[in-house]
Amino acid sequence: MEKNYYVCTGCGLLCDDIEVESEKNIINKVYTACRVGVAHMKNAKGETNFLVDNKPVDEATAVREAASILKNAKNPLIFGLGTSTDETQKLAIELAKKTNATLDDTSSFCLGPLVEALLQDKLKTCTLEDVRNKADVIIFWGADPSDSHPRHLSKHSYFPRGSEKQKGWEEERTAIAIDVRKSHTAKICGNYFFQIPPGGDTEFIDALIAALSGKLPKTSYKYPPKKILELANILKGAKFGVIFAGLGLIYSLEDLEPVFRLMKVLNEKANFHLVPMVGHYNMRGFNENLFAETGYVNRVKFEDGIVKHGPEYSVVESLKAKTVDAALIIGSDPLSSLPRSVSKNLLEIPVISIDPCETLTSKHAKIYINTAVSGVEAGGSATRMDGTKVSFKPVVETVHPSDEAILKKIMEAV
Amino acid sequence: MDFGSFLAAPEIKIKIVTYRDIFQDKAMIENRFGEEYRDRSAILKLDPADFKQLNIKKGDTVILKNSFGKIVVKAEESGYEIPHRGIAYMPNSPWSNMLVSDETGGTGVPKFKDISATVTSAKGEKVTELRF
Ligand code: SF4
Repeated sequence: MEKNYYVCTGCGLLCDDIEVESEKNIINKVYTACRVGVAHMKNAKGETNFLVDNKPVDEATAVREAASILKNAKNPLIFGLGTSTDETQKLAIELAKKTNATLDDTSSFCLGPLVEALLQDKLKTCTLEDVRNKADVIIFWGADPSDSHPRHLSKHSYFPRGSEKQKGWEEERTAIAIDVRKSHTAKICGNYFFQIPPGGDTEFIDALIAALSGKLPKTSYKYPPKKILELANILKGAKFGVIFAGLGLIYSLEDLEPVFRLMKVLNEKANFHLVPMVGHYNMRGFNENLFAETGYVNRVKFEDGIVKHGPEYSVVESLKAKTVDAALIIGSDPLSSLPRSVSKNLLEIPVISIDPCETLTSKHAKIYINTAVSGVEAGGSATRMDGTKVSFKPVVETVHPSDEAILKKIMEAV
Repeated sequence: MDFGSFLAAPEIKIKIVTYRDIFQDKAMIENRFGEEYRDRSAILKLDPADFKQLNIKKGDTVILKNSFGKIVVKAEESGYEIPHRGIAYMPNSPWSNMLVSDETGGTGVPKFKDISATVTSAKGEKVTELRF
């Protein structure tokens, strides 16, 4: 019997080996997924909801009101889209053009610069299959996949037998964690856990570069040089090394220069790749889609056919400076995920929330449209954290409209 | 008369480092307004020495305060072997975000993982509710 596999859209790994048991469009059992994936896939829920000022309305009214907010705004903000399909993202870009909007996503305050560098070919990268099949030295830097991407180590990076790594983690792979905290991933790395102080990453990188170049590694926080030299030796011996770069690393750097420096030296001495630990299942897709259209991965403002770009068009700065006068938020909850000192300004402008779940943002939105869970109730395509394209079909049928269908209707109405 | 209540409760300055937690993520997907998500988010993990200085017991609430906000969360010892006095850990959540500065230097990137605050015992005050 042929098996039916589904894709989990619970995180940037987009695991494609999920089996489910469902009855009457309710998912009862989920196999192979992790704890987060199971919760995600079972999250599909009953009735559909369209609210204007917290009062139930029909779909047409909600769409009309949303369109009218966007039409009347001088500079609407369109934000979110990390958990939307490519198809939805492309529509959102079109809508942003049509409404002269500011368009941004969560990569703006997380891994955006790294994805941009990868799209501009400034860093050597590889796929997760390459990692599984070939990687012998794996560094988790400011990343804790055991918590954020639960099947990362078991499916790809550490535990599996790969085609060229038949002896697996016991003999053929070295996993290294560099972090400010002994995370669950760091525990797995055992003696190869390098604990550095918060904000100490740049110095650690430069000390490591010194060690790789045969010099004495020094840090102001007096990290034992012997340990850094040991680390450098392991890295020098890598036949296929990979750095999984997480938020902990990115937040600690002023810019990416230290990462470029390190990757350059690592590739003079050995063979190293970098993969960003993208959290939302299609954040990287958003970056790619916008990049293809504008040459930028995020933080753009469309104005009568021209594209402006810069930090002033980031979600954070536009809310802080109050330059946006309405917001369309798709699959994101900025009232929870942004600093309250910034997100509170959303309360002063009309907000349209399109989201499969009720959130703090949807509760305070003028308009809330409850949509299908992307990947569970609606299909499409997306980009995995390593840049691999993945297509998926819905697991169950639903009464909820997809965010794609809603955006199409709003687009027609503006 | 309980003169102890007139004495200022010990207050310490800390840096809060935020992190992700799989159980907390799962709880959020299931119900972001639920008790489990709150219990797994509104929690501060302190160095044992800091914990002792605050004169509290495991699960007691503490007040975290800075110029951006004030929240009440539960406190416990971190359980890490390496001492980390002055640094405390907290899962990334709407609670931690209530303390994040809006100062970005124009970069568009808030310092989510680098929060300075003071901690004092909340003397039984309840954990902050998730609302605006
Ligand atoms: S690791 Fe991510 S994609 Fe894979 S099952 Fe878990 S949540 Fe889903």
